[in-house]
Amino acid sequence: MLWLAWKTFFHEKGRLFLTLLGITVSSVLALVEVSIYLGMMDNATSIIRKTPGDIWITSRNIKAFDFAPPFPEQRINQVNSHPEVVWAEKLQLTYAYLKLADGGLEQVEVIGFNPDTDIGAPWNMQVGQAADVKGGRYMIMDLSSQQRLGKLEPDSLWEVSINNLSMFKLVGLSDGIKSFTTIPFVFMSYNEAQNLQAGGAKTGRTAYIVAKVKDPARAAAVAVELRARLRDNDVLTKQEFIDRTIRYWTIQTGMGMAFFLTALLAVLIGGAVVGQAIFANTMEHLREYGTLKAIGARNRDIYVVIFGQAATSAVLGYVPGLAITMMMQGTVSKLGVPLLLDWPLLATMFVVIMMTCLVSAWFSVRKIRVLDPVSVFRS
Amino acid sequence: MTAALEISHVSKIYGSGDNRVVAVDDVSLTLAAGEVVLIEGPSGSGKTTLLSMMGCIMRPTLGEVRLAGELVRQEEGDALATVRLRHIGFMFQAFNLFPALNAEENVELVLRLKGYSRATRRPEARRLLELVGLGARCGHYPEQLSGGEKQRVAFARALAGDPPLLLADEPTANLDSRRGKEVLALVRELAMSSGKAVVIVSHDPKAEVFAHRVVAMEDGKLRKGP
Repeated sequence: MLWLAWKTFFHEKGRLFLTLLGITVSSVLALVEVSIYLGMMDNATSIIRKTPGDIWITSRNIKAFDFAPPFPEQRINQVNSHPEVVWAEKLQLTYAYLKLADGGLEQVEVIGFNPDTDIGAPWNMQVGQAADVKGGRYMIMDLSSQQRLGKLEPDSLWEVSINNLSMFKLVGLSDGIKSFTTIPFVFMSYNEAQNLQAGGAKTGRTAYIVAKVKDPARAAAVAVELRARLRDNDVLTKQEFIDRTIRYWTIQTGMGMAFFLTALLAVLIGGAVVGQAIFANTMEHLREYGTLKAIGARNRDIYVVIFGQAATSAVLGYVPGLAITMMMQGTVSKLGVPLLLDWPLLATMFVVIMMTCLVSAWFSVRKIRVLDPVSVFRS
Repeated sequence: MTAALEISHVSKIYGSGDNRVVAVDDVSLTLAAGEVVLIEGPSGSGKTTLLSMMGCIMRPTLGEVRLAGELVRQEEGDALATVRLRHIGFMFQAFNLFPALNAEENVELVLRLKGYSRATRRPEARRLLELVGLGARCGHYPEQLSGGEKQRVAFARALAGDPPLLLADEPTANLDSRRGKEVLALVRELAMSSGKAVVIVSHDPKAEVFAHRVVAMEDGKLRKGP
């Protein structure tokens, strides 16, 4: 009976167009909102994910990666002394100001890493190498920061300040490393980041200790044991730290939730559009459904017609929605808005749109189920 | 010989107590194969209710319906739909064709429901349309057909799958006098040649000449006996 579903569906071009337009617009809205949310979460956790450690030691009750109160760096010894830890490395995080060509100041998020090990180093280098920051006031910035900082020329000198001012030479450019807050990242050696923070004095404090364990499957167990040794710190597995960061940006700031709710609204509006269209279509064709029942169609034959139309709406509405979103991706990304469109998301959104359409069709099915075929004798 | 349709002491009662309405009151009727019976009567006399019970669309409150000698069990769900599909072809006053389907597809729809294969249903639909004189209009949609042509398509659809019983509810009500007569003549001719029993419900006095037997209903009862 899908045959009848399609024949009826494609017969009324005006209604078909409006139904598909509603689903397409909803699909675009939902896809864009969800992919922006995922893109932002991807940015928020990118350094945790790219850093090759299994365990992160942070200050107590840290909210997210970007907010790391420092703690004594000698605690790395307690981490290194654990028999299952292969290596442990310190990572610095602080905020500084960068003086722009026009004299203005732009806040940046400074990551200090050990250039000998490259743990916590930038990736996807377009100019230079991560190790180039070694041995002086050298820094690496990301090409995506050009929107805020202006043209980033290799070998250019930049004034970086927290309390005191220091000159840093730009020795490398990465591509695609962004923070959730869109504050540009600046990578430098651990020692220089520490010096910058303390105005030249050694503070002996670090933002993070990252540790690699022999067997990654044992990371959670090792973290539990390290927690017993480091009572003033949080000891988190990589996934726990990612989850905590995502939870912070999603729930505690409400920013992620706003995107999520907009996406949900888009799906609901799409559902309402298709539901209204299918229900109105059903009501207009009540006599035909009554005739179908009278001439011997079973209820399930008619359900196939209605659900078939809903499923067809979902497919034909979602595909152009997907195409439009993919075409938008490049332009939107250039504007600095991250759009993470991967196959699991596309498949999930398709299922969501399909389920919304099918649930909407259920109201029509309920109407048909109680339709008395005797009604066809009443002209 | 087994009757194509037999209804025995059939009644339809709505409500109870003071609100009790007897729409059909103890009606019995038997139709032989190839016989055309006309049921006439004023509006509200119970004709359509009786037709609905004959067509297994409505369950009688009392009495029983037999199709080809087989008692119709008044079951819930899709069981009666299957009985209708196997035994009965319907014609409606407003034709009730599907506007999204052309003439051939309207006929084919019933054949699909009856499980005809892809290879057989299209030629069979064409054959039936040729039988009713619409061989040249197979690809036309209902909106492109005249009232008489629509009713012929509806007749071809009713014949699809060769049901032994045809039920027609006011088949000429939306047709002019000439086309009404043409349709009724066609129904009678094909019913007789193919051995189908036909029940026509109509206000139209001109329909009487096309029936083998005329029964009248008044206040839910048959005025002339079978």
